[in-house]
Amino acid sequence: MAEPLIKLSGLTSGYGDVQVLWGIDLEVREGEIACIVGSNGAGKTTLLRTISGLVHATGGSIIYDGNDILRAQPDVVVGQGIAHVPEARRLFRGLSVRDNILLGAYLRDDRQEILADLELIYNLFPILKEREKQDASTLSGGEQQMCAFGRGIISRPRLLMIDEFSLGLAPQAVERLSEALIEINKTGITMLLVEQDVITAFEVAHYAFVIETGRVTLNGSTKELSDNPMIRQAYMGI
Amino acid sequence: MELQILANGIVLGALYACIAVGFSLVWGVLNVINMLHGSFIILGGYITFFAWARLGIHPIAMIPVAGMILYGLGYMVQRGVINKVVTQPVLITLTLTFGLDMILYNFMNVVFTATPQRVTLELGSFDIGGIFMPWDRIVSMLLAFALTGLLYWVMRTSRVGRAIVAVRMDRDAAALMGIRVDQIYAITFGIGAFMAGAAGAVFAVVFPVTTNLSGLYIGKAFVVCVIGGLGSVPGALVGGIVLGVIESFAGHWLGPQHAITVGFVLMLILLITRPSGLLGKKGYE
Repeated sequence: MAEPLIKLSGLTSGYGDVQVLWGIDLEVREGEIACIVGSNGAGKTTLLRTISGLVHATGGSIIYDGNDILRAQPDVVVGQGIAHVPEARRLFRGLSVRDNILLGAYLRDDRQEILADLELIYNLFPILKEREKQDASTLSGGEQQMCAFGRGIISRPRLLMIDEFSLGLAPQAVERLSEALIEINKTGITMLLVEQDVITAFEVAHYAFVIETGRVTLNGSTKELSDNPMIRQAYMGI
Repeated sequence: MELQILANGIVLGALYACIAVGFSLVWGVLNVINMLHGSFIILGGYITFFAWARLGIHPIAMIPVAGMILYGLGYMVQRGVINKVVTQPVLITLTLTFGLDMILYNFMNVVFTATPQRVTLELGSFDIGGIFMPWDRIVSMLLAFALTGLLYWVMRTSRVGRAIVAVRMDRDAAALMGIRVDQIYAITFGIGAFMAGAAGAVFAVVFPVTTNLSGLYIGKAFVVCVIGGLGSVPGALVGGIVLGVIESFAGHWLGPQHAITVGFVLMLILLITRPSGLLGKKGYE
């Protein structure tokens, strides 16, 4: 099998004296959509923040495209092709939708290409084009999430990490966004999703990792795991 | 008579705005109350004065030079010192910049002495419709407006301006865009110092250059920020002009000795009734 695009081994991390991740082993293959599921406080968000360099890892390794990026600063991580759409979207209030998306291209300097990519994003989410001059904070939750996706993909990532995109959104919006993610994946972008909503995550992703208190306790294809009685009972409520 | 007072107030207000924009930017973006700002202005003034007195360089030509020298100084101070504690509570950074200010202030006192210096341009004055105004005041007002406008333009249109706004809004999300937050902090502080240095050069034409004025300048910057709202160029402009005009009228009606008191009373009233300032809602530019 081909080398994974990203491979975490024995990753440990936390905030000050509080250790959150206790040795995470995980890998995502190129072209795949992987998801991380688990309950609140399991360390899912911390895991993404550690990969991004927002939280400093205390041990282990993160091999991305052959390089160890364990100690890389966030700008280096973005520059290497990893985009992170944070939880709760975190759009820049007071800036327009267009400016928010363009900030995602901060490290790029090919202006023509950036504008072409902006058009692609507008094609994917036409509502963003309609609202491009509006303050991003005036959008609905689902539209804000579209804007956040756009801001992530305009950096032309190879790996797109998305934290809890479905949180607090109406089911139709989640449905729409899930379809968009599959579309984005078809353009060749590998994805790592973090989700509390296991049903949604399993609909979108090919492969899943279950995290409990900072450790991966189960992993497998989403097909396989959705037949696992333990998962069905604990996370899907079936 | 009222027109004359109004005109005086607007001239004064333009200068106040010019003092305050850099201070406001640093406070708004870094959450650092830069106690060095007053001394930065004085240093810009001394650079301008000595270039004029010793080398015969016109003060207006010194505006960008003083600005750039102060930018370099500000960038290094932020990068080397303040960035180490920038995420700490505001009292820590306030104490730090206060200490740095004591060093710079006393350094200038020793090297330049406290004797006020003055650039005299002898541009004459004019009189229209009963308003009497020296030309040097008009020139400095226009320069103050131009500098304020320049900052606004840079913040609105440049890549770095957008990055500064993003860092101000949400530093983690900005970092995820690939923005180097510590570098943006240093640049922002540098821009604040640039504005101080340039303001110092403008002021050298109309006010004496002396370290004694450092405290007065920073006091004005404070009041203007509270009136106009933090971190916004239009806010500083409005705050500056409001303060200038009010002080000018207060000086006329109540006597010049009360003008400063009125400014601070206004600040207190606004702090109680409208703590985010007149324009301080979404003016993030």
